[in-house]
Amino acid sequence: MSVLQAASIGLQKRFGRQRLRKILLGSIPFAVLLVMWQMNTSMEWLPPVYIPPIGTIWEAIYTLSEGCAGAGAVLSMQYECLFTNHILSSLGRVGLSLVIGIPSGIALGVLAGMSRRFAHALEPIGVFANAISGIAWVPLAIVWFGTGWLTTLFILLNTVFWLIFFNTLLGVRGVPRVYENSVMTMGGNRWAIITQVYIPGALPSIVTGVRMSMGFGWRALIAAEMIGGDSGLGFMIFVSAAEYKIEEVFLGVLVIAIMWMITDRLLLIPLERWTIQRWGMVWRPD
Amino acid sequence: MPAKLVVEGLSHHYPDEYTGEDVHALDRVSLSVEDGEFSAVVGPSGCGKTTLLNILAGLLPHTEGSVQVDGKEVGGPGPDRGVVFQEHAILPWRTVARNIGHGLEIQGVARSEREQRVQEFVDLVGLSGFEDRYPHELSGGMKQRCALARTLCANPVVMLMDEPFAAVDAQTRITLQEELNRIAIATKKTILFITHNVDEAAFLGDRCFIFSRRPGKLKATVKINVPREKRIWKDLLSEKAYTDPRDEILRLVREEVFDDEE
Repeated sequence: MSVLQAASIGLQKRFGRQRLRKILLGSIPFAVLLVMWQMNTSMEWLPPVYIPPIGTIWEAIYTLSEGCAGAGAVLSMQYECLFTNHILSSLGRVGLSLVIGIPSGIALGVLAGMSRRFAHALEPIGVFANAISGIAWVPLAIVWFGTGWLTTLFILLNTVFWLIFFNTLLGVRGVPRVYENSVMTMGGNRWAIITQVYIPGALPSIVTGVRMSMGFGWRALIAAEMIGGDSGLGFMIFVSAAEYKIEEVFLGVLVIAIMWMITDRLLLIPLERWTIQRWGMVWRPD
Repeated sequence: MPAKLVVEGLSHHYPDEYTGEDVHALDRVSLSVEDGEFSAVVGPSGCGKTTLLNILAGLLPHTEGSVQVDGKEVGGPGPDRGVVFQEHAILPWRTVARNIGHGLEIQGVARSEREQRVQEFVDLVGLSGFEDRYPHELSGGMKQRCALARTLCANPVVMLMDEPFAAVDAQTRITLQEELNRIAIATKKTILFITHNVDEAAFLGDRCFIFSRRPGKLKATVKINVPREKRIWKDLLSEKAYTDPRDEILRLVREEVFDDEE
């Protein structure tokens, strides 16, 4: 048996045939891109000012990390330092927007979902706010908050909050009445109905809301950081492009995409698997 | 024997959801169910059976007449009346055991006692081994057993059942009917069972209340004098004590249905 065959059988055992096939198929477009990228460099089709050699991306990590050792530099968020600072800065904003946006979005979404009066009060303003894409707020946010944390957080929250609010609202409305009735006939009060019926019942929709808000929020954040930020990956890309450090721009873009894939695969999909998939409320075709 | 459930002069009107027209659903209904009695309400579709159940459960407010459980006027939902709903009303996000213990959990019963009670009812309805399954992993019949156990486990004074076997297949329905009879013997519960199925009503009921078409009125009451222990489908089909009252109920219900087409 050849080494390749042995490796293939080992991998199949580790991941399972179906999953392995899925991973392999999904890797093909990336592999094609990488090969073309490498060919571009070796064949000298486009000059490195447009498309830098793959190797320089690694070097960019090194140069960007230079001189920012120590927790103090990381926490100070000075933009001269730091690749890690930019990553942490962007991640921190996303994290903070979720910490604020998820509970408040769910709370108001549940209220609007169960009370006609709340829905009448909140829906129009929600539609109004949703119509204004995150990025349209940037100029105004800069006037109000200047460049930096508040502006970027404001843009993010604008995206995150309303998406979670609307998805929770729709989710609560979709919970079959009979669940509520059955808990009521067992003597359950409003609070029991909220925590034991509305929220778990709306969870498929809430999880969708969180995934959407992270997807859209992440994009809005990068844009906000470019114009109204003083740190973060969006800011880093913008500054690097202005200084013609094309390999840093490439690195930034790659990191943005990779970070999103990691959050989605490692956080959101397992969350879905352990709740609503376990309860048979949604399923995945595989 | 004292009556556990007493309904007197109950009428109900409501505006139609789309047209806004006044719908007269129930008209001066009076009936009572005694302690440990299994009563069945039969009538054609749209005779206000489900409206009656919702009022008894406290999910619909009643304006005319009175509803008393154990001598107390009903003013909203409460744990003294347990309901088994038509659809699968057990919560998909709770396991079988946690669904069955839900009522006790709401009542604040301590975990150890709760677990003991839950096990008792898991065994009673034949769901042993499925305690940790989620509802989507159960068959339709098992879901309704779980719903039944959930209602019984909370130990209500009266158990209200709203066509609980309407959504399961014919074979399963026969099994569930016999099991419900067995459970009624074992728990001596006071039960009001709503159905449009005449055979089911006569098989299960000590007394059957036959309702007229809308506005639903109590048209007649038929007693079925078959001891609970003898209520097994294969024996009952040739038993006059069952077939006579069943034919009588059938005749009474058909009058209501065929009036429509004349």
